[in-house]
Amino acid sequence: MTSRRTPPAALVYLGLALGAVITLAPFAFGLLTSFTTAHQFATGAPLTWPRPPTLSNYTGLAGAGFSRALAVTALMTAVSLLGQLSSSILAAYAFARLRFPGRDKVFWVYLATLMVPGSVTVVPLYLMMAQLGLRNTFWALVLPFVFGSPYAIFLLRQHFRAIPDDLINAAYLDGANTLDVIVHVVVPSSRAVIVTLMLITVVSEWHHFLWPLIITSGTKWQVLTVATAALQSRYNAQWTLVMAAVGVAVVPLLALFLVFQRHIVRSIVVTGLK
Amino acid sequence: MIGFNTFMTTGLAAPRRSTALGYALLAPSLFGVVTFLLLPILVVVWLSLHRWNLLGPIEYVGGANWRSVLTDSSFGNSLLVTLTFVAIVVPVQTVLGLAVASLLARNLPGSGLFRTIYVLPWISVPLAIAVLWRWILAPTDGAVSTVLGHRIEWLTNPGMALPVVSAVVIWSNVGYVALFFLAGILAIPEEIHSAARTDGATSWQRFRRITLPMLRPTMFFVLVTGVISAAQVFDTVYALTGGGPQDRTDLVAHRIYAEAFGAAAIGRASVMAVVLFVILVGITLVQHLYFRRRVSYDLT
Repeated sequence: MTSRRTPPAALVYLGLALGAVITLAPFAFGLLTSFTTAHQFATGAPLTWPRPPTLSNYTGLAGAGFSRALAVTALMTAVSLLGQLSSSILAAYAFARLRFPGRDKVFWVYLATLMVPGSVTVVPLYLMMAQLGLRNTFWALVLPFVFGSPYAIFLLRQHFRAIPDDLINAAYLDGANTLDVIVHVVVPSSRAVIVTLMLITVVSEWHHFLWPLIITSGTKWQVLTVATAALQSRYNAQWTLVMAAVGVAVVPLLALFLVFQRHIVRSIVVTGLK
Repeated sequence: MIGFNTFMTTGLAAPRRSTALGYALLAPSLFGVVTFLLLPILVVVWLSLHRWNLLGPIEYVGGANWRSVLTDSSFGNSLLVTLTFVAIVVPVQTVLGLAVASLLARNLPGSGLFRTIYVLPWISVPLAIAVLWRWILAPTDGAVSTVLGHRIEWLTNPGMALPVVSAVVIWSNVGYVALFFLAGILAIPEEIHSAARTDGATSWQRFRRITLPMLRPTMFFVLVTGVISAAQVFDTVYALTGGGPQDRTDLVAHRIYAEAFGAAAIGRASVMAVVLFVILVGITLVQHLYFRRRVSYDLT
């Protein structure tokens, strides 16, 4: 390294392209296989171009209960998102704009819970849900996540504190109550961070695996991750079908990411996602 | 980068005074925090002193679970496997992430597209990614065997399984880690670099003497969060190896799961969970202390 100049652009592009190939090749291989018939996969070499491309693996998934799993996953994500966002917004407003005894102590408790790892709480949560008779119910899937997240509250609080006092006082002078102020003043002026939080929540809800795996059984409340794992262990050798399942689990999230990627990339850097 | 310093400031400008309203707004999240984050900590400690097989009654057994877990080689093995895994994953993903970030920081046309591509594995569902790699590494009809033309037992060879699982996790994380370094590098004022260039510093010297020291807070954040998340990996081993072969990939989160829901030994699983909790909280506290002392420098 004796050169005084920075490495030439061509070398940088070479590195970037190599990284892109390593990143994309597994996805491309998997996608290709999901459009290949089981027959062609078994007789021809894997990784040959599908002749002709088929949707039979995807239609086969519908028979394996994946339509329901997709619906359950979407519902779980939507309910958790709504609950978490609204609870977090209310709490963040209280922490940011109100003065009441114990406020700062409670906020410290919230911050301390950021240290509680999910892999430690699943066993006791399982017992708690079992005692409440909630095993294998939709509520068990969402309850631990629906009441707001300390991370979201911390992030929102920062933004709510930055809203000019005049804006909020003017609304109060106009006779608005606190809920009006939150809905009509606070939320609209924090739209960017709220969109960011929504995306983070959708991604992390969609990723859920361990909790749904232990708290649900059978296909009634099976989510996509659990259905994919079950399919893989049941049809170990039927890789064309299994790759279609991977596609169904991954593609909706990647589509969301590609649409909102600027927001998500920014949000990862701001919050450290999860 | 999370502003830990802002955690410390609690003084507010002209807030409204209202106790009832404040606690009414906090009610849902307070219920959630107490019930689903704090109470489980007490319950898991309580469970570690009891025997429960998921179905029958729960009976008090004192320190029996603790003695059995702490003298049992399977938990020791899991801790060792996890330590090895963390020791592979964290340094490699940090170095690669930094390398990728340096390339992206050149900001050549198209860098945004590459950045997007690199984050795809992280956005993807970890469980599904593990299933995808299970096929890619399948010995007979997997993608790698097909490309290479001969079979390799990536996941069933005891010596190879843990490095391979680590590689899959690294593949998922590098783009994500790179985002933090990219943000850190772009925050370094260009004047410092041009001053060094004027003084005749090579690009390697500038990286060593300017970029790396300036990235110290980012580096610390990436390392600590990397350790904490790697120490809890579950989905990837569940789908790739199920902890095998010969427990060589039996990460501690997987051991807790297998103990609780495979062997129906909730008490033993709770002991392991408490130990993991203490370790992870210890790491987090070290991080907080570090951030308190080392206030991140601001050049503006």
